[in-house]
Amino acid sequence: MTLNTLLRSLPVSFLYCVLTIPIPLYFYLGTVNQLGPDPLRYLEHKYGELGLILLLVTLSISPILKYTKINLVKFRRCIGLVAFYYIISHICVYVFFDIGLSMDILISDLKKRYYIIAGLFAFITLIPLAITSNNFAVRKLNFKTWKKIHSLIYIAIVSSIFHFILMSKTWTGELYFYMAVTVIILILKIRETTIYKKLSTYSKADISK
Amino acid sequence: MKILKHSDVTPRNIYLGRREFVKALGIASAASLVSYPVSAEQDYSKKGKLNTFEEITNYNNFYEFGTSKTDPAEYAHNLTTNPWEITFDGITQNKRKFDISEILKGKPIQERVYRLRCVEGWSMVIPWIGFPLHELINQLELDYDTKYVAFDTIFRPEEMRGQRRATLDWPYREGLTIEEAIHPLTFIATGLYGRELPKQNGAPLRLVVPWKYGFKSIKSITKISFMKKQPFTTWNAENPREYGFYSNVNPNVDHPRWSQATERVIGEGLFGERRKTELFNGYITEVGDLYKGLDLKKYF
Repeated sequence: MTLNTLLRSLPVSFLYCVLTIPIPLYFYLGTVNQLGPDPLRYLEHKYGELGLILLLVTLSISPILKYTKINLVKFRRCIGLVAFYYIISHICVYVFFDIGLSMDILISDLKKRYYIIAGLFAFITLIPLAITSNNFAVRKLNFKTWKKIHSLIYIAIVSSIFHFILMSKTWTGELYFYMAVTVIILILKIRETTIYKKLSTYSKADISK
Repeated sequence: MKILKHSDVTPRNIYLGRREFVKALGIASAASLVSYPVSAEQDYSKKGKLNTFEEITNYNNFYEFGTSKTDPAEYAHNLTTNPWEITFDGITQNKRKFDISEILKGKPIQERVYRLRCVEGWSMVIPWIGFPLHELINQLELDYDTKYVAFDTIFRPEEMRGQRRATLDWPYREGLTIEEAIHPLTFIATGLYGRELPKQNGAPLRLVVPWKYGFKSIKSITKISFMKKQPFTTWNAENPREYGFYSNVNPNVDHPRWSQATERVIGEGLFGERRKTELFNGYITEVGDLYKGLDLKKYF
């Protein structure tokens, strides 16, 4: 049995469960004080980080198919949606526990803190994707529009990385890692765009002249 | 200055019993560093609940061992703290290098309970043991025009894995004005909870300046220099807009990227309420005079 046949037999609902379980699990561990001395920061970072990782996985599915022929396309919607759930959980921890529902802090954060603004922007760009991640929306919208909406994910990932850079005190190894993965994904994507293809055929034509 | 008895503020059940405390000191003395009886217990923590030994030793910013809060607890054991020498610069006496035992000799060990406020917006209450820095400075012969004191953390990348990467401009350096350095609250910690200082907390000796953000309280000190000019300080050099030379705790001066008005109290759990940050971390009656007439927004 090839890997792809194996993957095809794996139900999406199974993956859905596996990926979402850590959300309530981490929250539970936080309430019983099992997340170290600073459970709030732990939970906030964990949800944010897992959200970012899952976004990157979602974006990797096309290049993985292209370069390794491993087909994960059937899981893409599931992974993307779960990423969105992590990001919502991340924001909930911030709003309910970190700032304790304080409107004053929220407003001043949104006015002054660039990493909060970048993070919120990333979240907002993801909302239309989440809303249209169902068969009904795919049927209702024409494919081109649907595709356009879903290319917002590239804006979301770039703002998420900015959110991460802007809140960091120093350049850490993990920051470099996530940046590198994002840059690779973006380069591969840019090479597929029609503009890039046109430009590269022009330049080739120039050279052959 | 207000000197409270520790027992006035600390619920006994969350702290070591008196007898255990003395016993812990005895054990530590066998390990040679903390070999003097406790002469005083002084609580300046403004009625905070003490953090547990586990919290204090598993939630550390000590980038020499990695940037995560748990890296120091995991990797600090690699640091050799015995033998340990401290070099003094800017003193007029001939002998400039001292073994730690010579520095500790004749200084009664006291306990100080201080609130530590991190620039990241969280705080802990820690029962340090050690001696006031002025007791050490008094033993040295300084130039009459000394204005600043600079401190260096040891640079030993083979033992401190975080130093193998240029996360910061190593070695870590910090500094104080001479007035701040000889202030009675400025403390050299050699231990906590009556035990020898754990390596992740800056063994064998570290600075504790309770009215400043935690990063000023430099760990594992190997060099102390007396200077006429304001010294290089690591975080200030890294990002001068965000970290000032003074870095006094001040709820009215925000860090450019986050508010300093409130702080998360470590140990209060997921549902804990934020605490209002106090000017000079609550030590205003003790240190307010040091900054009379100084524009704290400009000299942050």
